[in-house]
Amino acid sequence: MTSRPRLGTSLLRLFTVQGSWNYEYMIGLGVGVAEEPLLRDLPGGPDGAAYHAALGRGAHFFNAHPYLAGLAVGATARAEYEGASPEQIERLRTALAGPLGSLGDRLVWAGWLPFAAGLAIAGVALGLGWVAVAGFLVVYNVGHLALRWWALGAGWRYGTRVPTALHHPGLRRAAAFTAPAMAVSLGLALPLAARYLAGPFGAGSRITLAAGVALGLVLLWWRPGNLTGLRLGLTMLAAGLLVGWVWR
Amino acid sequence: MSFDVQLVLLLWGTLVGLDLVSVPQMMIARPLVAGAVAGLILGDGALGLRLGIVFELFQLDVLPVGAARYPEYGPATVVAVSAGHLLTGAGGVAVGVLVGLPVAMLGGLSLHLLRRLNARAVHRVAARIEQGDARALVRVHVGGIVRDAGRAAVVTAIGLAVAWVTRTTIVGVLPERVFVGLAVAATAAALATAWTGTLRLVGRGPLLRWFALGLGGGALAVWLR
Repeated sequence: MTSRPRLGTSLLRLFTVQGSWNYEYMIGLGVGVAEEPLLRDLPGGPDGAAYHAALGRGAHFFNAHPYLAGLAVGATARAEYEGASPEQIERLRTALAGPLGSLGDRLVWAGWLPFAAGLAIAGVALGLGWVAVAGFLVVYNVGHLALRWWALGAGWRYGTRVPTALHHPGLRRAAAFTAPAMAVSLGLALPLAARYLAGPFGAGSRITLAAGVALGLVLLWWRPGNLTGLRLGLTMLAAGLLVGWVWR
Repeated sequence: MSFDVQLVLLLWGTLVGLDLVSVPQMMIARPLVAGAVAGLILGDGALGLRLGIVFELFQLDVLPVGAARYPEYGPATVVAVSAGHLLTGAGGVAVGVLVGLPVAMLGGLSLHLLRRLNARAVHRVAARIEQGDARALVRVHVGGIVRDAGRAAVVTAIGLAVAWVTRTTIVGVLPERVFVGLAVAATAAALATAWTGTLRLVGRGPLLRWFALGLGGGALAVWLR
């Protein structure tokens, strides 16, 4: 086995893991690209049969949360060194895809990201301006970088025993923190954002705004014809343009 | 607005578009960041932050899981700030959102097209990748990133052109009342979208109590100010 795994190179490549995202392989090619530096010390080196076979497997279909994809990259590369069979490697990848996707979505997309975004919105609305924006980038990316680095390291450390890493107490604590933190942060942000955006409007416009929000909520709640926020925005803009034009 | 500034905005919009999916996902693609920097480039930081908040609220409707298709609000916010800057009263938000929302839709469509083009590129070298050819694998992967950069640049460029046409054609024609109507409509849609997206995230379980706690804090802060 390699005495000094190229985890740094692999981590850098993981930042591009979704670069060739497509509907057939999803992030499979990106995972293969990130795994490649870790495979160079397989018997025979980069010209050997083991390297080529492992790389071919590494680039098969795969999908997971991009920040946690390193766990699969490290684990499958380690499994290649441990002499796992191609079938075992495929089973490992298949077993990891679902949990890494759902855990990452819950932890990051539905937790850490809206938590940080809510704080940033509240900060700007409270007059912090640039400090809030810079704070958002710092706070979010501390978690982001820590998760990526931990995932790759844990995958490499555990190899085929990587499901153990998913029971890491730190992950449980993070999940227990991010969900309530997200709820509090967004709850804090919404009234502040409303006050901030309504600030320049006159009294009549604010009443119209409140009625518009209520109407929008009712429409989005019912979701007629798969109404999305974007479609609601376009519809309300068209209505605003029409009303403004008629009453000009 | 000078050509140099337009070029800097184009570069910023491209970086923002690239960050969303391809590299490095450090969230400069979030509307609040994209708008604040666009405002700084244009010397209109207040509008950048304001439009950044409006589009950030729209963004709360998006949960980018799996192969979900969604609008792209990052470059759209850059374009919106370009469209609305230096307009007085409600004009900045009104014209910004009027231009930004269709660009967000265009960005979403372009992402779908990019994914199909990526699949086609992979098909051409699938046999070599299956054999573990590292050069073919890296080339197709880097090709995807370059393609995404081109996509983001095209979306931003089209948006900047639309912003310029909008500013030069309708801004002098429409009365202030229309701008106020548009700004109110855009703000109402953004707030309704953010509420719905948040309630979807929070659900009906125990998180609702945490949300109520935050809401109370936010309402108190509004009252105290």
